[in-house]
Amino acid sequence: MRRELLSIMLLLCIIVFVVSAEEKPPRKAPPLPDVAVHSLGPQKLAPLPPVPVPPDNPQTPMKILLGKQLYFDTRLSADNNESCASCHDPAMGWSDKGPTSVGIKSQVGPRRAPPVSNSAYMPLQFWDGRADTLEEQAKGPIINPKEMGNTHEKMLETLNSIPGYVEEFETVFGKIPIDLDQVAKAIAAYERTIVTTDSPFDRYAKGDKTALTPLEAQGLEIFNGKGHCTACHWGPNFTDGRFHNLGAKNKEPMEDDLGRYAVTKNDKDKRAFKTPTVRDVASRPPYLHNGSEQTLWDLVEFYNRGGGDDDSNMDPLMVPLGLTKGEMEALVAFMKVAVTSNNPEVANEKPIPPDEFPK
Amino acid sequence: MKKVLLSLLLVSIIFLLFADRGNAIPAFARKHSFNCNMCHTAYPKLNDFGQRFRDNGYQIPGQVGGEKSIFATSPPIAIRALPGYDIYKTECCKMNSFHIFGVDILAAGVFHENLSFLFIYTPRIDEPAADYTGPQDGLNPRQLASVESANVVFSNVIDNKLNFRVGRFEPSYLPFSAKRSYYLFSPYEIYDFATPMNTFIVGDNQLGIEAAGHFKSGFKYAVGFMNGNNGNPDNNNNKDIYFRLLKTFGRGDGQSAGQRIGIFGIYGMQPTSFYGSIVSPFGETDGFINKQFYRIGLDASINWSTLNFQFLYMIGKDDKALNTLRPTEDYEYSGGFAQIDWAVMKNNRLVLSLLYNWVFPPDYDEQGKLKTYSVLGRYYLGNWEAVNVALHLEYTYKGRTICRFREDIIGMVIDFAF
Ligand code: HEC
Ligand code: HEC
Repeated sequence: MRRELLSIMLLLCIIVFVVSAEEKPPRKAPPLPDVAVHSLGPQKLAPLPPVPVPPDNPQTPMKILLGKQLYFDTRLSADNNESCASCHDPAMGWSDKGPTSVGIKSQVGPRRAPPVSNSAYMPLQFWDGRADTLEEQAKGPIINPKEMGNTHEKMLETLNSIPGYVEEFETVFGKIPIDLDQVAKAIAAYERTIVTTDSPFDRYAKGDKTALTPLEAQGLEIFNGKGHCTACHWGPNFTDGRFHNLGAKNKEPMEDDLGRYAVTKNDKDKRAFKTPTVRDVASRPPYLHNGSEQTLWDLVEFYNRGGGDDDSNMDPLMVPLGLTKGEMEALVAFMKVAVTSNNPEVANEKPIPPDEFPK
Repeated sequence: MKKVLLSLLLVSIIFLLFADRGNAIPAFARKHSFNCNMCHTAYPKLNDFGQRFRDNGYQIPGQVGGEKSIFATSPPIAIRALPGYDIYKTECCKMNSFHIFGVDILAAGVFHENLSFLFIYTPRIDEPAADYTGPQDGLNPRQLASVESANVVFSNVIDNKLNFRVGRFEPSYLPFSAKRSYYLFSPYEIYDFATPMNTFIVGDNQLGIEAAGHFKSGFKYAVGFMNGNNGNPDNNNNKDIYFRLLKTFGRGDGQSAGQRIGIFGIYGMQPTSFYGSIVSPFGETDGFINKQFYRIGLDASINWSTLNFQFLYMIGKDDKALNTLRPTEDYEYSGGFAQIDWAVMKNNRLVLSLLYNWVFPPDYDEQGKLKTYSVLGRYYLGNWEAVNVALHLEYTYKGRTICRFREDIIGMVIDFAF
């Protein structure tokens, strides 16, 4: 009798569970890169949803074009030599040849340029997450002495002296003189169009089971299983947007980079860096924040060893994976081909020819 | 019969409800959209990642605070069932039958940051004697109805140096999980060995409370208090105590990478008399003249490539007052096992394993003396998100020295969990 009661109660519990947890209505695309969504923990690998757009910076075709011009315009830098594209070059997977980025007067920066593609989905910007939005982020490189080496005042002076830009800004924002927020908003609007879609993986996830070769499909299985990759590289953009220490330390003479710690001053964040997207990763070697792994194969070997140098602060998710050579090949095949996008507007984006900039 | 029907109904209802959901269960894998291999070397054996996940209160380590609670996921319920066929042979006879070798209904999840639970219910399976209507209802059930686990985990009380588990759980003194072993027909015999008058079984889930934690240096510890009466209310007023200490070497926790060695010990009391003792409304008794017993052991787990070598040696001693066979002597026994697991195919699709068990009781208890040799292969049909179906083939030779009695068991099972 007791047992029957127990069974009935269990059954009731299960029914209540099942009914109360009826398939939740699909989450609407959040209006902002929603840190709350990321704080919910791992989500399925999937095609990217529509890009989140902040309400105070709606996308318009004119604004996007203006942003594109600014993005490729070297006149934003102090020596008229650097543009955003110098380090975030569409031909190099929206990154640069590395290992770390080289800015004004050939100064070598301490970190690698992350791809601008899909950065619109990142809940926080930079390797250490010190900027919340693309708008805030875009103001940074212009005045970074090792990047474009300018001042905001001088950059605005330059832009305000170019009648073509003044006219465009007036049409887009209805207000002149050009100010810093406008510049940032325009660049951010352009960046929100740099979204990589239509990779074999996306087609596979939408149901075309022929989109991946058997080897790539094995790679996906390992990515989401034995390789533990989706423990951090999850969701449509293959990233948790959080910070982890993989033990990829800088070697002498480069100084130690404390990563996220610089922002939070929390010891647990020492040498932790933001998880980058894995989308289109084949087009932008070398890898990691300091460009220390040359190829995808090297990187997979790095993970298979359980990460880089022993570090008391190593992420607890880093364990040797026991991947065999064949499994590593499958994983590399997956990352080489399966997550490489084919949408032409992003894959074939060309810099603006010099004579087409506003004069 | 009614119970069987009820269980069947239950299973099929759950099955139907989940069948069209596309993304089905094991509660955790489904919650995270992971494949089973994220946490299992091959289901059900945990890898290092899975072990860390478990130790962290079923939260992804390093991601604490970012876990969906059970209220934000679909029902965190999973089922494992083991339909199959066996051939059983002794020196005199040979038998064979189809069976349901086991069914588990599991629920698990995170209530709130650092507060999680695990619940496992095993329904009674009355086959093969389901229609038996003698004095003992359901003679010789395959599986008893039991709340195998119902525990709450308070994790990261002081980082991961202090975590608590309360309820009925698999105690951490077991270096190798009995519940997550690949073997379905050959248990770790030393875990299940029963001494003459002691109700404590090493391999059973216990009721109690445990504190556990780990340190950056590779040390892990666990200490606990328990009834020491398996899943039952205690039979005396003494709580049994235990500890476990292990050290890992290299990267990994020794589960699927790196190496580890450890020791464990259990010290407890068993009553020798119930004369005049009182049974509470909750089932416990205050048995008298409690006598001590202990179990201690050491273990090692060594990994090389996709090979995992596991070794355990244990000795046990019960006070002579508990030794009904020879009341002038303490009852002493020893035993252990050695196992090699090999993940053969890509993504651990095929697992092969060898297991040797031995139990050496004292001479006067010769029929308990046992050696078993087992071999198994498990082939996983797919490694789909949160679903696992494995074809399981196992052979065990059990030799008892007494009368040179031997048993041969061949088991074929479809082990599915979703
Ligand atoms: C000298 C090379 C250089 C130039 C020029 C440059 N960047 Fe960067 N960019 C970097 C580096 C290096 C980082 C990473 C810095 C860090 O994390 O501390 C970065 C980070 C970013 C990020 C963050 C991406 C992410 O996922 O976190 C964005 C977006 C970005 N840059 C956009 C731009 C824009 C827009 C411009 C032009 C206004 C620009 N960059 C100019 C080198 C450059
Ligand atoms: C513990 C979380 C975590 C896990 C697990 C993880 N990654 Fe990463 N991944 C990161 C972080 C963080 C970085 C950047 C680290 C740095 O630069 O120091 C990164 C970087 C990368 C990069 C380089 C991208 C670039 O643009 O430089 C690739 C590719 C990559 N991971 C693939 C994988 C694969 C494949 C796996 C599984 C074998 C995996 N990751 C497992 C967190 C993780």
